[in-house]
Amino acid sequence: MEMEIELVLSSSLHYMLPRKRAVGGEAVVAEGEEDNCSAGSLKKPRISTATTGTTETTGNVNSNSNSNSSIGNNNSNHSRGDAKPPIMALGEGNPPDIDEDLHSRQLAVYGRETMRRLFASNVLISGMQGLGAEIAKNLILAGVKSVTLHDEGSVELWDLSSNFIFTEDDVGKNRALASVQKLQELNNSVVISTLTTELTKEQLSDFQAVVFTNISIEKAIEFDDYCHNHQPPISFIKSEVRGLFGSVFCDFGPEFTVFDVDGEDPHTGIIASISNDNPALVACVDDERLEFQDGDLVVFSEVQGMTELNDGKPRKVKNARPYSFSLDEDTTNYGAYEKGGIVTQVKQPKVLNFKPLKEALKDPGDFLQSDFSKFDRSPLLHLAFQALDKFIMELGRFPVAGSEEDAQKLISFACNINDSSTVGKLEKIDQKLLHHFTFGARAVLNPMAAMFGGVVGQEVVKACSGKFHPLFQFFYFDSVESLPTEPLDPSDLKPINSRYDAQISVFGAKLQKKLEDAKVFIVGSGALGCEFLKNVALMGVCCGNQGKLIITDDDVIEKSNLSRQFLFRDWNIGQAKSTVAASAAASINRRLHIEALQNRASPETENVFDDTFWENLSVVINALDNVNARLYIDQRCLYFQKPLLESGTLGAKCNTQMVIPHLTENYGASRDPPEKQAPMCTVHSFPHNIDHCLTWARSEFEGLLEKTPAEVNAFLVNPIEYASAMKNAGDAQARDNLERVIECLDKERCETFQDCITWARLKFEDYFANRVKQLTFTFPEDAATSNGAPFWSAPKRFPRPLQFSIDDPGQLHFVMAASVLRAETFGIPIPDWVKSPMKFADAVSKVIVPDFLPKKDVKIVTDEKATSLSTASVDDAAVINELIMKLEKCQKKLPPGFRMNPIQFEKKGLLIHKNSAGWRGTDFDKLDKANKKDFTKNTLEEESTEAYASRTDENKCTLEEKSLVFRDPHSPTQLDYDGKKIPRKRGVITQDS
Amino acid sequence: MSSPSKRREMDLMKLMMSDYKVEMINDGMQEFYVHFHGPSDSPYHGGVWRIRVELPDAYPYKSPSIGFVNKIYHPNVDEMSGSVCLDVINQTWSPMFDLVNVFEVFLPQLLLYPNPSDPLNGEAAALMMRDRTAYEQRVKEYCEKYAKPEDVGAAPEEKSSDEEELSEDDYDSSDEAVAGQADP
Repeated sequence: MEMEIELVLSSSLHYMLPRKRAVGGEAVVAEGEEDNCSAGSLKKPRISTATTGTTETTGNVNSNSNSNSSIGNNNSNHSRGDAKPPIMALGEGNPPDIDEDLHSRQLAVYGRETMRRLFASNVLISGMQGLGAEIAKNLILAGVKSVTLHDEGSVELWDLSSNFIFTEDDVGKNRALASVQKLQELNNSVVISTLTTELTKEQLSDFQAVVFTNISIEKAIEFDDYCHNHQPPISFIKSEVRGLFGSVFCDFGPEFTVFDVDGEDPHTGIIASISNDNPALVACVDDERLEFQDGDLVVFSEVQGMTELNDGKPRKVKNARPYSFSLDEDTTNYGAYEKGGIVTQVKQPKVLNFKPLKEALKDPGDFLQSDFSKFDRSPLLHLAFQALDKFIMELGRFPVAGSEEDAQKLISFACNINDSSTVGKLEKIDQKLLHHFTFGARAVLNPMAAMFGGVVGQEVVKACSGKFHPLFQFFYFDSVESLPTEPLDPSDLKPINSRYDAQISVFGAKLQKKLEDAKVFIVGSGALGCEFLKNVALMGVCCGNQGKLIITDDDVIEKSNLSRQFLFRDWNIGQAKSTVAASAAASINRRLHIEALQNRASPETENVFDDTFWENLSVVINALDNVNARLYIDQRCLYFQKPLLESGTLGAKCNTQMVIPHLTENYGASRDPPEKQAPMCTVHSFPHNIDHCLTWARSEFEGLLEKTPAEVNAFLVNPIEYASAMKNAGDAQARDNLERVIECLDKERCETFQDCITWARLKFEDYFANRVKQLTFTFPEDAATSNGAPFWSAPKRFPRPLQFSIDDPGQLHFVMAASVLRAETFGIPIPDWVKSPMKFADAVSKVIVPDFLPKKDVKIVTDEKATSLSTASVDDAAVINELIMKLEKCQKKLPPGFRMNPIQFEKKGLLIHKNSAGWRGTDFDKLDKANKKDFTKNTLEEESTEAYASRTDENKCTLEEKSLVFRDPHSPTQLDYDGKKIPRKRGVITQDS
Repeated sequence: MSSPSKRREMDLMKLMMSDYKVEMINDGMQEFYVHFHGPSDSPYHGGVWRIRVELPDAYPYKSPSIGFVNKIYHPNVDEMSGSVCLDVINQTWSPMFDLVNVFEVFLPQLLLYPNPSDPLNGEAAALMMRDRTAYEQRVKEYCEKYAKPEDVGAAPEEKSSDEEELSEDDYDSSDEAVAGQADP
């Protein structure tokens, strides 16, 4: 009992913690100090005591010194600091406390402030069966400061149905202790400690959030009362999964402030006019509908004429209409509106008054609905869970699966509770449902644990960060549809002393056998794929002698994957995803028969995935990140009549769809409406919102770094064929392509890294200065349209050129990212000194930037490129011929075998590893956008730059993604906590590379 | 998946039935050229343009992409690429529209009523706002130079036999003879 005599000073440690939800800079400073303390105290000799609250850290498990808790924040902070190239200092001046490579996707959804709050949070998870393990996994991946695992019991064979951490060897060990090492592997910078004795409520004061997954109602009320009345309140979450039923209860205290209820950007509008009136009428341009609602607060900026409104004071919206609204303000004596102006919503914090559990049990209020076809189910389950608690209290055990007697007992408890309730008494109690509830009550099923692990993990994030609307307060869910329609024979539900006993107690041994002998194809091994593999392994799918699981993915592991693709470790970076995931899944369940392939599923691989392959399958599971691959797999499934399980995630949103032959429609049968595109002229010259800038930046990225290099290669691979194809086409597009290729191989060809810097610097000048100068030369600020109205009127915004300065970190970063990307396309090695802003700035200063002269003669402006080749080139064919001749000359100057490397926008994450320099490929776009923002004189605040990057990324992910489960085939439910409808396939464009 | 492709066929058929000259680029009915005549009440009268039409996979839910192949001087058409900036064939496209609408209504309207406030060819827009006469003069010059009916009409025959390299020479000579090749 070595563990018990060792005491860790974690309680004294926590004593020094900044109090919960400390905001901003203070917390960061405090955290830094705390780190030092913790390192110090952990090294102190451990003193044995016999106090009740014995706390143990990872360090107690002497056998594995590598999981010692000293790997906590302190060390890893150092290593992160070292690994971070100095160039990061160029960033937005944030303290380097977020490992941006690791958490890039998460950062995109949560934002920096939320992440920082998350990184300062200490969480207790009590009950380490399947649900506890899932919650712990999600929070550790998300990167909270510390997780303390509490469990007094030991691992049973029964637990192996749902807990991915335990193996048969762990049976008999304490659950918390048996979990530490594998959880620690997920993220070294989270401090993980354990508690193995009975909790006292005072111990809860060490945490900002506490989660109980296996606790009696009586105890829960006691703890919740303590948390509710604590100063500051401690967020309390109670969650259970019982067979096919689950529940969550949240109490974040009497007055919990949600800073940002939906995580969406504030709505904005471009003003067209404002009346001098009481109340004043504000009209906006009619190209985008306003999304304000009555009562919203808005601020004004850039208003010309009626400048009184620019004071930054929030004003209330009345009579919100699609393109106008009223202000409760007398503007009669204000200046007359002239032009310009932006109106921006001020997001309001929302205060929630949580009821303590004791009150909420009696008067639960509105339940969160996830399936409107079961609108009357929640009150019944609210009773059922209380009845189960009573059953366990009185009989000291769970009900037995298939026992009619136990079912009757539970039903009578439920009736009694109902009869004595004062609020919301039920008229009728669905006995059949309570039978199902009773029979499965002892079982923790993996898919249910995975799903609730995701929900609860997300609630903890909300509790710690105040971002996104919390679950208020009860949520019940069931999946009784997953049961066979015919009742199961009770003898089929008896345990057979296998790891699947819990599952057998719900579904029966016959179905288990079927699962074990299934032949499954999982397409993709990213975030979803890792989750699915774990679920499949735990459920015993493909674990029988006849069973076979094939997983395919042509991608390799990158650092940014590690924050959610939890089967991968940092030493796997660069290895094939499918192979690593397969061997990790096999270690969850040794009997899993799995084969990993690296083929992309597409028409080109039909020699691998041939008819025989498809005909043998029982089910196909998509874990893909793009619509085209989904449509392809869907077509194949349709053809071979195979069931398909489909899912996707987007930020905190997700969807699933079951496709069952002859029963449901297939995936491709319905489509989302195409997304609205911005008009070209707007994107090119007159952007007025962030999406325009994004569209522009992305299209420039693709043009310069992907399409043109690919075009160059197409020419180099077969110059004759290429030339003749261009001649045949003979149109503007062909000419345009040729011009780009020549530009790339001749005038702008880069041979050294300095060339790339020159190119990048001149690109900056072109994009953010010259083009603006030309545009404002053609249309001066006072330009008028034919009918005399000002040309620069809303929504157009008059741009100003940027003056490049090496002292502007954003601008320098742009040039750096562009140089590096350019060098990549030419295969030019990237020198180490690039990482030093000083040296890089020196190199940039050397670039000679020619003065810009606006083209005065309209003729020259438009025909510039053509005239430079041939003064009288009138049509494309002639130009094309000349271009081809020129191209052939260029080719002779190239080194033999010269090729370019096109860079895919989605794959830019790869750059991070290739040049291991630590800037993100996104920066190119992000800054691009940021600068474009200046260009448009956009007043959107700094945070939108982040939002931008995230949107550019189209790669968002949160806890939900880590926890998708198999739903039953009959209800394609779309789960969303905020009650918003999710577009069916939004998720498809997401996920990671 | 079958209905969008049926709609594609039908729309194309309707276009041909309305006496538009259509040249297919591939067999897929995805890409083709359509001959388009400048409307008679506009300075574009007399000009003929080959319009490149591409029907995306999601047509008619997604708009066709439309581009002028030979040059046109117009505030809302990019001079280099020929791309058109017109709301009804971009943002406000609806599956209720079809190709006949594009060629009977949208494009003629665009040529009759350019919108210099949202220019794609800024210089054309500026000129139009500043000096309408000079602008119309320039439009006509462009029509003379780039949009002669005989030039446009000559192309399709070349296209049909262009699988061998020989034909390119044919193509060049016939096409250039008028304006291009001899000049430099």
